[in-house]
Amino acid sequence: MRTKTDHFLFSRLSIQQRLPLLICTLLLASVIIYGFANYYSLKKATLIIGKERLNSFVVELASSLGTSAQSIIKIVNTTAAQKTVVECLKSDGKKFRKETIDALDKLHRDSTWVLVELLNKNLVPIIRSDKSTVNLKVNIKDLISYTKVGPDSSKVGKIYNIKGLVYHPVITAVTNQKHIIGYIVSWISIHETPKSMEQFYQLVGITADIYIENTDGSLWTNLIDPLSKSPFKIKKTNELIEFTNTDGRWMIARAQYIPHTYWLVVVAFSEQNMLNGVNSFVKWIVLIGIVLMAIGILAAWVMSRNITKPLNQLMAAAMAIAQGNYSSPVPIDEFKYDELGKLANAFNIMISEIYLAHHELENKVEERTAQLENVNKELEAFSYSVSHDLRTPLRAISGYSIMLKEDYEAELGTEGKRIIHNIITNAKMMGQLIDDLLSFSRLGKKELVRTQIDMQLLAKNVVNELLQSGPEDKYNFNIDLLPPIKADQVMIKQVLLNLVNNAIKYSSKKTDPKIVIGSIEKETKTIYYVKDNGAGFDMAYANKLFGVFQRLHSQEEFEGSGVGLALVKRIIEKHKGEIWAEGIENEGATFYFSLPKT
Amino acid sequence: MNDKIEILLVEDNQHDAELTIRSLRKVNLANKLVHLKDGAEALDFIFAKGAFAGRQIENKPKVILLDIKMPKVDGIEVLRQIKSNDITKTIPVVIMTSSKEEQDIITSYNLGVNSYVVKPVDFEGFAKAVAELGFYWLMINELPE
Repeated sequence: MRTKTDHFLFSRLSIQQRLPLLICTLLLASVIIYGFANYYSLKKATLIIGKERLNSFVVELASSLGTSAQSIIKIVNTTAAQKTVVECLKSDGKKFRKETIDALDKLHRDSTWVLVELLNKNLVPIIRSDKSTVNLKVNIKDLISYTKVGPDSSKVGKIYNIKGLVYHPVITAVTNQKHIIGYIVSWISIHETPKSMEQFYQLVGITADIYIENTDGSLWTNLIDPLSKSPFKIKKTNELIEFTNTDGRWMIARAQYIPHTYWLVVVAFSEQNMLNGVNSFVKWIVLIGIVLMAIGILAAWVMSRNITKPLNQLMAAAMAIAQGNYSSPVPIDEFKYDELGKLANAFNIMISEIYLAHHELENKVEERTAQLENVNKELEAFSYSVSHDLRTPLRAISGYSIMLKEDYEAELGTEGKRIIHNIITNAKMMGQLIDDLLSFSRLGKKELVRTQIDMQLLAKNVVNELLQSGPEDKYNFNIDLLPPIKADQVMIKQVLLNLVNNAIKYSSKKTDPKIVIGSIEKETKTIYYVKDNGAGFDMAYANKLFGVFQRLHSQEEFEGSGVGLALVKRIIEKHKGEIWAEGIENEGATFYFSLPKT
Repeated sequence: MNDKIEILLVEDNQHDAELTIRSLRKVNLANKLVHLKDGAEALDFIFAKGAFAGRQIENKPKVILLDIKMPKVDGIEVLRQIKSNDITKTIPVVIMTSSKEEQDIITSYNLGVNSYVVKPVDFEGFAKAVAELGFYWLMINELPE
């Protein structure tokens, strides 16, 4: 249903509107497809580059951390190899004590070095050089055992969480003639501030999360705080791990062993950060798409206007022709070389052809109308002469017959009187016939004068008029309530006169003649009827009732000219009404006529 | 000819004329009747010229019964000339014709006809109409002296 409506709406648009819409849709589709294709390939490439970058960054970071661990080891080794330190240990801290303290103090290269201790063979601290009051209670034996520190060497230990801060030890063996005689244990804190991390990221040009982890997984740090729980699980080094961070970001990460330590370094890139460039590319594509579409719609609009302009001119010319104006051909100069120009040209040729045909037709119609008018005039002249020329001799026949009857009645005898009587009645009938025919033919020329007719009153007047001119008292008239109607009063009176007169005539042989004038109201018309219980007629001949000179009864039975009902029919048809009759032989007839209400 | 004329009948049809005269005679109104057979004769009579040159133009009939369809000069022309002359225009003119032509009725009344009658085709009706006409114009109607 919905698609149907949409289609309907689209089809209601003009070509001038449809074309830009179509082009706009095409542009939109291509921008979307192009944008998506590029977005995905770019995203893929960016991710590949990002991963490679992550790899190299992790490797580099691990190696540089390893290098820095090595340099620390080197420094501590140098201190441990000093003669004063060896001598001090040999004398259990009695000799060269002051020099040894100086050497240990010198190891505090910066504030991250919190404590340096000199332990004897039994791991008892002999000298302590601390820069903070922090109490580092770490099992040194354990430290020696997992680092397996040998003579003349140092090891960097695991990271430890001590009171919420991360520290790592560096343990160095003090050696005398290839025998370990004691240890230097240095504690260095790993505690960067968020700000320093940021500076670091800016320096390397990467936004990443960096973690350091003990290889046995016992502790994590993000270089700022210790983390009791790992942000993700590392299955294997040298392999990319993808995971969702606690804050919902999608990350890729890689772990790498740091040489000379027990640490892993883990670097995680947020995919979103990597795709920042891609996203801004999409933004640009959308922007370019919008600009393209705007330009496209504008161009399409101009173009479609150029196409539809001649079409509109064609349309205007066609409309002008529809209104009968042939004098405005389509201008074709502007676009005479294209298809539309050819169409306009063909159209103009067609117009001139139509104009010629139309002109010819008009001439023919005029000619025919003139012929018809002539025939009509002849007919009128004919009816005039019929009425004049036939009536005069007829009046003479009628007049002389009466004169004969009046002046010579005595000499005529019975048979002569009968004959003269027949001449007189026939002449009278012929006169009536001529009068009826004339009024019938005149009706064609007459214009309708419509007024509001009080049908009730008109029917009463007609009945009274007819009753005055003679029928016996035996008639029982019943006039129902008749609604008024707008029609020609003179003609409708003629209709009622003829119908009621017929009703009187054809029921004259009944002993109890009844005539009803009634009506039936319909939505757009009113039906009036005149009903009698007289001679009626056979419905088989109902179609002959309204023809001129058509009679269903003999002259002896009921006299009449055979024009009355034809006249009635002509009047009703002139009013755009209908007339019909129902009848049963010897039981009566009903004549209906309908008149439109407007 | 100097006798007072009461009715001037202008009718080309001999039979119609006879019927008219008989109808008038029956009611005793045909004593001072002149019958003329066409329009030219009628104009000569009314304006006292030609064959009627000796007649007094002031001796006007009480009514002229005029047919329309006549040879030479038709009834409409006769009517026009009567009604456009100051002396004759007071004479009542009744057009009596066989055909009811709307145009003839309008023209006649525009020219100042006093009555327009369509002759009934049956003689009984005709006789009655003629008698009533004669009775009205001769007995009831008053004319200026």
